[in-house]
Order: sequence, then C-alpha cells, then structure tokens
Amino acid sequence: MAFIEARGIGRVYPGGVVANDGVDLSVEKGEVHAVVGENGAGKSTLMKILFGIERPDAGTLSLDGRQVHFDGPRDAIDAGIGMVFQHFSLVPSFSVYENVALGSEPRKGIRFDREAAIARVRGLSEQFRLNVDPMPPVRTLPVGQQQRVEILKALYRNARVLILDEPTAVLAPQEVAELFVAIRSLIEQGCTVIFIAHKLPEVLEISDTITVMRQGRTVGTVKAKDVTEHELATMMVGREVALRVDRAPRAAGAEVCTVSNLRLVNARGADVCRDLSLGVRAGEILGLVGVEGNGQAEVMEAIAGLRHVADGRIVVADQDIVPLSVLRRRGIGIASIPEDRIAEGLATGASVAENIVATRLKDRRYVRNGLLDLKAIKANAVRLIEQFSIRVNGPAVPVGTLSGGNMQKVVVARELSEQPKLLLVSQPTRGVDLGATQFIWKTIAAARDAGAAVLLSSADLGELLALSDRLLVFYRGRIVAAFHNREGLSPETLGTYMLGLSEQSPEELRAGL
Amino acid sequence: MTTDATPTAPAALPAATAAGNMKPPTRLSIAGRELGRAAIAVIIAMIATLLIVFFVSKSPVDALMTLLTAPFSRVRTFGLWVDDVAKLTMTGLAFSLVFQARQFALGVQGQLYVGALAATYVALSPIGQTWAGLPLGVLAAMIAGGIYGFLPGIAKARLGANEIVSTLMLNYIAIELCNFLVRVSLVPPGSGLLTTDKFPKTSLYPVLVANTRIDLGLIFAILCVLGTWFALYRTSWGLKLRLVGHNARFAEYAGIKANAIMVSAMTVAGALGGLLGSMFVQGQAFGQLTVLFEGGFAFEGILIAIVARNRPLAVPVVAMFYAYLRQGAQLMNIRTDVPAEVISVVAALIILLVASQFGLPAWLKRNVLGTRRGATR
Repeated sequence: MAFIEARGIGRVYPGGVVANDGVDLSVEKGEVHAVVGENGAGKSTLMKILFGIERPDAGTLSLDGRQVHFDGPRDAIDAGIGMVFQHFSLVPSFSVYENVALGSEPRKGIRFDREAAIARVRGLSEQFRLNVDPMPPVRTLPVGQQQRVEILKALYRNARVLILDEPTAVLAPQEVAELFVAIRSLIEQGCTVIFIAHKLPEVLEISDTITVMRQGRTVGTVKAKDVTEHELATMMVGREVALRVDRAPRAAGAEVCTVSNLRLVNARGADVCRDLSLGVRAGEILGLVGVEGNGQAEVMEAIAGLRHVADGRIVVADQDIVPLSVLRRRGIGIASIPEDRIAEGLATGASVAENIVATRLKDRRYVRNGLLDLKAIKANAVRLIEQFSIRVNGPAVPVGTLSGGNMQKVVVARELSEQPKLLLVSQPTRGVDLGATQFIWKTIAAARDAGAAVLLSSADLGELLALSDRLLVFYRGRIVAAFHNREGLSPETLGTYMLGLSEQSPEELRAGL
Repeated sequence: MTTDATPTAPAALPAATAAGNMKPPTRLSIAGRELGRAAIAVIIAMIATLLIVFFVSKSPVDALMTLLTAPFSRVRTFGLWVDDVAKLTMTGLAFSLVFQARQFALGVQGQLYVGALAATYVALSPIGQTWAGLPLGVLAAMIAGGIYGFLPGIAKARLGANEIVSTLMLNYIAIELCNFLVRVSLVPPGSGLLTTDKFPKTSLYPVLVANTRIDLGLIFAILCVLGTWFALYRTSWGLKLRLVGHNARFAEYAGIKANAIMVSAMTVAGALGGLLGSMFVQGQAFGQLTVLFEGGFAFEGILIAIVARNRPLAVPVVAMFYAYLRQGAQLMNIRTDVPAEVISVVAALIILLVASQFGLPAWLKRNVLGTRRGATR
C-alpha cells in the first residue's frame, strides 16, 4: 500500500458541480508526485480534500496505512501534511521568522521566545537548502523567497508531506530552478511532495510520478521517465493538441505605436518607469518580458488610457494619445485584453451580450439616440459566441457563470471582433485551459497577420517565445535587453536579464529595438 | 500563416467538454427563484409575528385578524394603503437606482425635505394660487432633490468623500433647515403650530378616488416605475450605470466615464426623492408642510430596494406587500393591544433573510420546493 492512498474520492459542490468523481491517487513515500490537468479538472478540490479544507462526499483516504478523516486543516497539519497555496498567506510587515512561527510560537514562560524561533527557522532553512534569512520583513522579499517562507511554515509544523499548488506560476525561470533545488533536498531528507501544475516541461523535470486528471476523474498515473510532453498533453485534454503557432517571418510594416521618454509614477509618487521608449510596427508582436511588477503592465495601462502619464509621449496612428479619453483611444483602433479579466476585463454580473457591447456604446449600430438596440446587441453577441466558440447557453447568461477560458474568450471576442490597429494583450491565457489557450494564441496571431501591431506581456515565457516577433526585457521600469525572436533564444537567457543579473550594452539594445 | 501541425479546429471545442448538466438559467426561472425566496422570507417573518402577537396580546386572534384584514376593510383604509404604496414605491425606486450603480447613498430623506421645502415655497407664493402652482411645485421639488443628490455625488467624484457619510450628514442638514425655515418664516404669524397654512387648491394633487387619499401621486409613482425601468434596461445610460455598478474598473477600461455616471445616477435618484417630497406636501395626506413630517419614512426604501433586488418592476410589488403590513400594523395598534412596533420585527427579519441570501436546508428544498439550484450558480 502506498504512503498516501485516496480511493474513489467524490465531491459534489452545492449547486451540483461535480468536482471529483471517483478519483484515485496513490503517492509513494519520498517521491515528487505531480498532479496535472486542465482548469476545472478537479486538482484543487482533491488537494483541498487531502489538506482537510473540503470533506469528500465519497471515498476513503489513508496515510501510512491508516485510514484518516480530516475535519479541518488542523487535523491534516497534525497528521504531517503541509500545503503551500498559490496565493500566500503571509503578514507583509512581519519578519520571516515571525511569519513562520505565527500561531505556534515557542514560549519562554508567557513570552514569545524569539531567539528559539530564529534558531529553528535558520536551522530548517539550512537543512533544506531553502536559503531564507529569518530576519527581514516578508514584504521586502521577492516572490520566490516568499514562497519558500510558506514552505518553511509547513516544515516548522513538522510536515512530512508538502502539497504545492501551482508553485511555479509566479516564478521566473531562475527562481523555478531554486525551488527545484529545494524540492530535491526535501525529498532527500524523506519528505514527500505533491506538486500541482500545468506547465508540462517543469512537471517532467521535477516529478517521479504523474497523475493526470480530467473532468473530475483520474485519467491515469504514469512514471515521468516513460512519458513525453506530447503524450501528457493528450492525456490531459483527451485529444491531440498542438501548442504551437507557426510564425512565418514577415516584414513588419510602419510603426503604429511609438512611446517616447515615458515616465509613470505609482500611487505613492515613486517612479514606475522613466525615460522609457519603444515602438511597435504593424504586423508584429512585441513581447514585453519581465517578472511581474517591473513596469510592463503599467506601460500597457498607460497606452490603454488607464494610468496617468507623468511625462513623455505616446503616439498612435500619428497622433499623441496622452490627452485622449479611453473611448477616443478605442475609436482610433486600440483594443486591449487586460491582465485580470475578472477585475478589469468583464462585469461578471452582467450578461455576455452586455459585456460584449460595453465598449461600443457610442456605436450607431447598437445605440441610437441614447436607446439600446437590443436586437442588434443580441445578434452581435450570438454571432461572436458562434465565431469564437464560447461555450455558453445564450447571450443573456451572466458572464460570471462561465469557466475561466470561456470568460477570456468573451474578452477576446469583444476586443477582436473588429480588426484593431494596436492590440494590447496582458496575460492572455493565465488560468485558461489548453484548448482555449490554443484558440486564443491563434486569434492573436491572426490579428497580427491582418496587420495589427501587438504588444504582449505575459508571465509565461513559453507563451512569449511562441508568439512574439521581438522581445523587450523589463527590469525595474527599464528596458535592459531587446531580442529578435530567433531559434536559440532560450528562457534562461531571458531569465538572466529579467532578474537583473545582466544588461545589454546600448549597442546591443539598439540592434534589438 | 498560422497553420497547425495537427488538425484540431477550435470548432471541435464545444463537443470536447460538454458539461451536459447545465440548464440555461432563463430570466423567468431566475425571477421565480427570487420570488420563491422572498415568499419564504415573508412566511418565516409572519410566523415570528404570530409568535410575538401570541405572547404580547390578550386577544391574539383579534390582533392577528386586524393585522391581516384591516387595510382592506373600508374604502378609507384601502386609500391609506394605496397612498402608502405610491410613496414607498418612490423611495424604493430612488434607493434602487443608486444601489444599482453600487453607491450606498442614503440621501432620500434629505432630498425629500428639500423637495418638500421647494414645493412649499412655490405653493405659498402667488404662483401657488394659479394653475401653474401644481406643475411648478413638482418641478421645483425635483430640481431641489436633484441638486441635493448631485452634491454628495460630485463630492465623491472630486474629493473622494464617502457617500454614506455625506448623504447622512446632508439628511440632518435638510431636516434642520426645514425645521428652521418653518419656524422663522413659513409658519403664519400668531400660530402656535409648527406647520404652514394649507396650500391653495391649485397647488394640491387632484384626488383620483373621492374620500380617499388616492391622488395624482399614484400616477407619478406608476410613471416613475416605468420610466426607471426603461432608463435602466433600454437606454445606454442605464446599461452604463449597471456596468459601473457591476464593476467600475471594467467600466473605465471599456471607456465609460464611471464618475460621471455615478454622479448622474445620484442626481436622478435625488430628483425622485424630491418628487416624493412634493407627493407628501402637495398630496391629499398633508397639503401643507409640517416639521419632521417624514418621520424616517424615506429609509423604508432601503428595505424595499433590497427585497426587490433593485429591480424597478419588482419595487411596487414589494411596496404593495410592505404597505399592507404597515397599514395593518397601524390599525392593529389603534384597535387592539398590540403596538405597531411589531412590524419593525417583521421588517428586520425580512431584510435579514433576503439580504443574507439565506440558503434553505437541503431537505426542505427537496421536499417542499422540489427544486435544486442550477449548476451555473
């Protein structure tokens, strides 16, 4: 019997969504066991059941040969299970050791024994090669380190099994490498790691065994060394997929968007970027590379008209758009797919049709004399639902009830239903399953081929490399490197620039720009 | 140019992961669900009322019968009910409008007072003696209310002033302003009462049903319901307003000036509140301005709006029901030994149940309603 055995796990959410339907999982002691699957495959539910957050409606769970019932995370922690969520739960102003000890502080009498906590955290960090200093406040640490603080929290509570929920989603390649070092060190010392992911190359690199889930069921369990990326993808999706966009080289046209000497400031008045210049030509995709928070998102917002420009010019189609309203900018032919579709890209409570027409409320096809032409609005929505294969029961359905991929398709459909001159795309496939990713990539590439200038920013380097014609690397609000996307440009090369480890000379930069 | 290595057209997508068990939530089924929820809230609240009445009354059956039947017992009481429905509808609409734009502006009370003041000044001026007294009074009340709604709106847009605080403060200012003006200038010399003279007939709402309070205000309420519904669901302004209410960041991104929409929503709601002020003072119920005439009535609109889920067409339905309870409780207060405050308990329970979107226990849903919530929820 395996170390962790889940048999026939079923979980139906109130409302009738079947998240797990007879899921089996067996994890051997001391292995890295990956659980992969598309969004909505039921991975997270299964992990929540393992960690005691959700209780299964059916099935049994056993740990080390004994059947267990978890009534809450506390029980799971007591049984030696720790979980690191995608969204960290850290107190930013507390130091690392305070965060780690919080809730289980060592005491001396009634006082918090800080010395003991520091020593313990330092010891764990060295033992598992996590390389985290216990003293600095958590808010000063990069994301990768914060994640390792979360791992420390679990180890501090004597976890023997660590569940990592999509740990690499927020990391730069070098940070991923460091995380993998830590995971290997955990395994060497007898821990077991369950690793949830959907980036397949990473899964194949780090894990020993892989369980594939689809639509709430286990599709199969395979050894990492016996399987290829393509086979895994096919298992996940249930059919052949080609995650590739063939880009024929083509001569880019005239410069559509020119940003010169741009300066942006954040809410506290500090510079987000200064003296930043770039240009995008018609028919090319310009990838903005960088760890999140280095200015690429802000530059996109400034072009879209959602962020105040402190200084500099943004010229689109031969006019300075800085003084123009969002509506006027859209009128010139700027379309944008925002980073966070739920916070910015959609009104989830409104219907699909209303979301689609929201950017065209000055368009005489849909609004005349201030009155809505409901027929035209509905017909347009029906047409786009068809054209973009959005899975929804009609245009009157609230967008919030759709799956992530379909929500994103609503955004894409709205922005690309008419050919834009300049397309701004941020994180187009974050949290979107493979099938929809494939579709969205093709749609963006098609917009480029039809002559749009595209600015693309993404946390997924694979996506940037697959789509972009040129790449600019942002670090602390500056462009530190520029490349033409040719064979041989590797994520690692980009990574060294993303982390600020090196910087191109002005000559190299100019060649890339 | 973007050809695939494998032949997988995106058109194959729907078949690949058809969920199968998703029923389309039609508008009717949603309405039915909401209605069912409201009905159950009312039933639970009524059961609570029943218990309270049994505990406090010496003759509980009489008290209950009065509560449940008295409003329809005479033409006069029926008139009281209709008048209450019209006014509750107006305040419910005003709140629904700002709530749809997700502004928690609570200024209907203040708008009501400034509207009433404006109508009073028109009615007691020489114009009030002419045919123009009625329409000009209504217009003045709506403009005054509109300005009073605009102020907290623009303060929020320009200065970031929290609308809850500013509207509540403005309410007090309006109440005390009305108090002050009545005492120092509007009360006829020598009168000991804190009330103005009766308005001239030309400035009063005409009666629709003789010997009742049913007057032009009812027509206004009906027109406002239809107008608000039309504005919200058939005009681009209404769509913008609702999109701002759903997600203001999205609205900005889509090119909608969220602040302008917010201010306009608060202004229009203010005009509705002002009109309600005119319905009070120019209507048959008062026909004059008295200090503190409103007595907290405006805030009943919050209950109406919450239970009606801010839907203009649902507002009068909820108002009818709630006005019935209010009138029943008033009559119970007069005719039996149970105080009218009982109805506050009912109101509080209904608000709690509806606002918390209470979920029924699964067994109750299966056995009583025979429905399950749709998978798309």
